[in-house]
Amino acid sequence: MIRNYFKIAWRNLLENKLFSAINIISLAIGLCASFVIGLIVYYDFTFDTFHSGGDRIYRITSNFKSLEKDFYNSGAPIPLGTSLKSTITNIDVTSSFFTMSPASIKIVNTNQKYEYLEKTIYADENYFDLFEYQWLAGTPEKALAAPYEVILTKNRAKKYFPTLNPEQIVGQSLIYNDTIPATVMGVVANYAKRSDLIFEEFISVKTFESSGMASIGLDNGWNNTNSASQLFVKLHENASVTDTQEQLDKLAKEHEDKRLAEFGMKRKFYLQPLNDLHFNSDYGIFNDSISPASKPVLLSLGCVALFLLLLGSINFINLNTAQATKRAKEIGIRKTFGVSKNQLVFQFLIESLLLTVVAAILSLLFSSWLFHIFSDIIPNDVGFELFANLEILIYILLLILIVAFLSGFYPALVLTRFRPVLVLKNQLLPSNNKSSFRKYLTTFQFVIAQIFVIATILVSKQVNFLINKDMGFKTEAVAYVRTWSNTSIDKRLRFMNEIEALPEIRDISLGGNPPASNSTISDVVTCFNGQKEIHTELQLLYGDQNYRDVYDIQLLAGRERLNDSIKEYIINESCSKVLGFENPEDAIGQVLLLNQEQAPIVGVMSDFNQRSLKSKIEPMALVGSWHRQTFHTIHFSFQDQNMKSWSDAISKVENIWKGIYPSTTFKLNFMDDTVQQFYQEERKTSLLLNWAMGLSVLISCLGLLGLVIHTTERRTKEIGIRKVLGASIMRLNLLICTEFISLLGIAFVIAAPIAWLGLNKWLEDFSYRTDLSWWVFMLSGIVMLIIALLIMSVRTFSIVNANPINSLKTE
Amino acid sequence: MIKIKDLEKYYKTEELQTIALNKLSFEVKQGEFIAVMGPSGCGKSTLLNILGMLDDSDGGSFIFNGEEVINYNERKRANIRKHNIGFVFQSFNLIDQLTVFENVELPLIYTGVKKAERKKKVHEVLEKMQIMHRRKHFPQQLSGGQQQRVAVARAVVNDPKLILADEPTGNLDSSNGNEVMELLTELNNQGATIIMVTHSEHDAKYSHRIIRMLDGQKVTENSLI
Repeated sequence: MIRNYFKIAWRNLLENKLFSAINIISLAIGLCASFVIGLIVYYDFTFDTFHSGGDRIYRITSNFKSLEKDFYNSGAPIPLGTSLKSTITNIDVTSSFFTMSPASIKIVNTNQKYEYLEKTIYADENYFDLFEYQWLAGTPEKALAAPYEVILTKNRAKKYFPTLNPEQIVGQSLIYNDTIPATVMGVVANYAKRSDLIFEEFISVKTFESSGMASIGLDNGWNNTNSASQLFVKLHENASVTDTQEQLDKLAKEHEDKRLAEFGMKRKFYLQPLNDLHFNSDYGIFNDSISPASKPVLLSLGCVALFLLLLGSINFINLNTAQATKRAKEIGIRKTFGVSKNQLVFQFLIESLLLTVVAAILSLLFSSWLFHIFSDIIPNDVGFELFANLEILIYILLLILIVAFLSGFYPALVLTRFRPVLVLKNQLLPSNNKSSFRKYLTTFQFVIAQIFVIATILVSKQVNFLINKDMGFKTEAVAYVRTWSNTSIDKRLRFMNEIEALPEIRDISLGGNPPASNSTISDVVTCFNGQKEIHTELQLLYGDQNYRDVYDIQLLAGRERLNDSIKEYIINESCSKVLGFENPEDAIGQVLLLNQEQAPIVGVMSDFNQRSLKSKIEPMALVGSWHRQTFHTIHFSFQDQNMKSWSDAISKVENIWKGIYPSTTFKLNFMDDTVQQFYQEERKTSLLLNWAMGLSVLISCLGLLGLVIHTTERRTKEIGIRKVLGASIMRLNLLICTEFISLLGIAFVIAAPIAWLGLNKWLEDFSYRTDLSWWVFMLSGIVMLIIALLIMSVRTFSIVNANPINSLKTE
Repeated sequence: MIKIKDLEKYYKTEELQTIALNKLSFEVKQGEFIAVMGPSGCGKSTLLNILGMLDDSDGGSFIFNGEEVINYNERKRANIRKHNIGFVFQSFNLIDQLTVFENVELPLIYTGVKKAERKKKVHEVLEKMQIMHRRKHFPQQLSGGQQQRVAVARAVVNDPKLILADEPTGNLDSSNGNEVMELLTELNNQGATIIMVTHSEHDAKYSHRIIRMLDGQKVTENSLI
C-alpha cells in the first residue's frame, strides 16, 4: 500500500509541475538555511565538549567594576594560583600557564631557526592532569615538572622534526631566544575534536622562572592582572559552584588593591565554565585571528532559519489546501471504496514527505553554494564534510520528518474532511472558511517578509552612517605600520627618517596606536580643578609632536608639547569637561596626578571617536614616549589624496622595511580600513539580512504566485463573463489583486511596529545612530507592494487578456 | 438482504427544508435485480447513497444483512461498505492518476488482500470485462464504454454481495450501454444483488422489479418476472 501511496504522490508531483516546483523550491530554501545554520550552531556548541569531567573545569578570570564601566580580563593575578590550593576547599586540580611565545626557537639538530611562533605556552606540571591528551611519546607523569622541559603536539613536532618519529623526537634539544636550552620530553596528539585550547608547544613554567624570561613584564603582585597569565581549575565532583565563588569573593576582598578601591574600583574573581570559553567575548579566545562565537547571533540565525522554514511550509499548506478541490474526486472515490480517514491522512503525509525529501536533496546542492557566499561569516571549518557526521544526519532526518508532518498534516485534514457524496455528485463548492485560514498564513508570510525588508533597509542605512560619519580626525589617505615591540628604537627612527624622505609622503609621526583602535591603554588620574578633587579614567594615546598633523587633529587651546619625552598632557575636550572646565583654555596649566607622578596639561585638542561609534568619546590625553616601547608604530599621510598614486609609495616603503627588518613580514594598515573593521559585525548582519530578506521575499512571492494562479483558475469563467459584459483590463486586474493587496496592507500594519521595536532595540547599542525615519517604513512598504504587483501581474495579465470565449467554452 | 422502513431524509437550507425521502419502505432479497426510477429530484440518488452508506438518513430503519445500520458511525459503515458493496457511477469516477489495473486494485488494497492474490483477482476480472489489454492505460486514454467497464470491474473485483449502480449507462451510447447492462445481468445471474437507479425504461427492463418514486415516496412497484 505504501508503494501505491508513493506512486500516486510521485504522479501528482509530476502532474502539477508548477505547484510542485513552488513547493519544492520554497521548502528547499528553508531547509537549506536550516542545514547551514544548524551546522554553524552545531559547530559552535561542540567546542571542548570531550574533556573528561569538562563540566567541572573552570577558568578563573578577573572582572573590574570602575566608576564608569566594567572591564573584563581573562587572566588572574599570579599569586592567586598558589593561594587557591591552600585556601579554597573545592578544588581538585589547579593549573596555571602563560600565553607568551618566545621570540625565537632554534632546533639544535638541524640548526633551523623559527621566529615568533605562536600557540606556545609556559605551563605548569598540572596542565596535563587538567586537560587530557593522547601521548604519542613520553608520559604525562611529572611532565613539565622541571625547568627546561618541552612537550610538543604532533603538528608542531612535525614542523620541527619532519623526518623523525615521536619516539625519536623525545630527547631532542631546542634553544629559545638564542640562550635558553630545553629538551623535548614528550609528544602529544593534537585534539581530534574541536577545542579552543589551540596550543602546540608547552614549555615548563619553571623554565620561565629560572631563565629570567619572567622579566619580560609579568608582575608577581596581587594587583597586576595580565591576560597572559591564565588560571584553570577543576572542582571536586560534588563541589558547589556558588560556594566556590563565595570563597573566591572572600579572597578577592582580602587582596583588594587599596589604591583602586579608593577610586571606587572593585575586582572580582569569576569562575568561567569551560563551555563558556567559546562564546564569551568579554574574555576572548586564545585564537586571535577569530572572534568568539556569539550566542545572540546564533539565536538570530536560528530564528532566520525557522522563519524561512515556516514560510516554505506555509506555501505548502496554502497551495495544497487551495488545490484541494482538484483532489476531491480522488478522495471521494477512495472513501467510497472504504478507505479509513487515517489511511488517507497517511497517504497525504507520504506525499508531503516525498516533496520534503526532494526539497532536502535540492537544498543540499544549495548549501554548498551558500557556504561559498557566506565564507566570510561561516567559520572556516564548517563545511559540507560535517554532513557526514552521524549525529547531523539524524538531525537532518528528524528535521525532514518534522517539516513533512507540519506541512502535510493540515492539508491532509482538510482533504479528508470531504464527504464523498458531495464530491462525487460535483456538489463541492469552493468553501470560504478554508480560504480564510489561508489568508492568515499568507498575511503571516507577508509580515515576516515585510519585517526583513524594513530591517534590511534600516541596517544598511546605519552601516552607511557609521562608515561615512566623520570620526573627528583624518581617516583618508593615512596609513600606519607596526614594528615589532622588541626591536630597537634606532631601527624605528631610521625606518621613519627614510620614509619621510619620500616625496609622496606628506606628514609622518612615530607613536603608539592610531587615534581609533580596539586596543586602548587607560589609567585613573586625579585633578584638583580649584574646587574639588576629581578622579577619572583617562585613555592614553602615545604620539610624537607630529602625531596631530598626520591625523589632522585640531588644537583648541594651549600649545604642542615641547619635545617627545617631556611629561606634558594634551587632553581632549571631553576630558576637560569631565574635569570641570567650562572652556578649554581653563584647563591649560592644570596638573594631573597619575601613579604618584604630576604633569601639567599644556593643550586641549578637539574630540574624536577613539573606537567604533558604538561607544562614546571618552576622556583621553595625547602623551609622549614616557616609557620604553610605547612608540612602536609609524604613521604617515600621503601627499596625493588619490589612491592610484599610492602604489609606488607603498612599494618604496616596503623596500625600506625589508632593508631594516629583513626577516619579518611587512604589513601596512590603512586608517579607513581600520575604521571599517570596527563594523565587521554590522556588515555581516547587513549581508545576512540582505539574504534573509531576499529569500523570505522570494518564498512569499512564490506562494503568492501560486495562490494567484489558483484564484485565476477558479475564476476563469467569472473573468470571461465580466469581460463579455465590458469590464476593462485594469478593472479585472484590480478585481483579482485587491484580495491580496489588502492582505499586504494588513501585514504592513502588523510588521511596522514589530520592526520598529526590534530596530530601536538594535540601535540602542550605538552611541551614534541614524534616525529610524518614517521613509524607511514607507519605502519598505512600497518595495513589497511593487514586488507583489509584479508577481501578480505575471499571471493576471495573461488571464484577463485571454479571449473570453475560450474560457466560457471550457466551462 | 435489505429492509428499509419509514426511511426519511431532509435537506435544509437557511430558509427551507426539502424532503428527499418521505417514510420510504421496501425490501430487497438476496439475488434480486431492482431498478429504481422516477423524475429528477424524486430522491433516487439520495436513496442509493443511503443504501451505499455514503450518507445518513434522518429517520427510519435500515437493516442490512440482518443488522440495523442506521446509527452506525463512519468507521463501521466504511467497514461494511468495503466488504459488501460495489459502486458503479454515471460519470465512472475513476482516479485519473491511477492506471486501469491500479483503479481496479483499489478496493482490494483497502480490504487488506495480499499482493499476489490482488494481482490474480484483478487480472481475472479484467479478462472478464475484456479490458485486460488496457490495464496499463490511464482513464483519460480510454473511451467512455471502456471506462465504465473498468468501473464495473472495480465494483465487482471484491465479490460484493450488493452492487449499487447510479445511471450506469447515462454517459454512454446505446451499444456501449447495452454492453454494460449485459455485464450487470451476468453478475446478477452469478448471484450479486443489484440496485440500479435509471431514467431509461430500456435499461429497467433488464431488472426483476421496478420501484417508481415521486417526491421521496414509492409510487408503484411492479415485478417483471
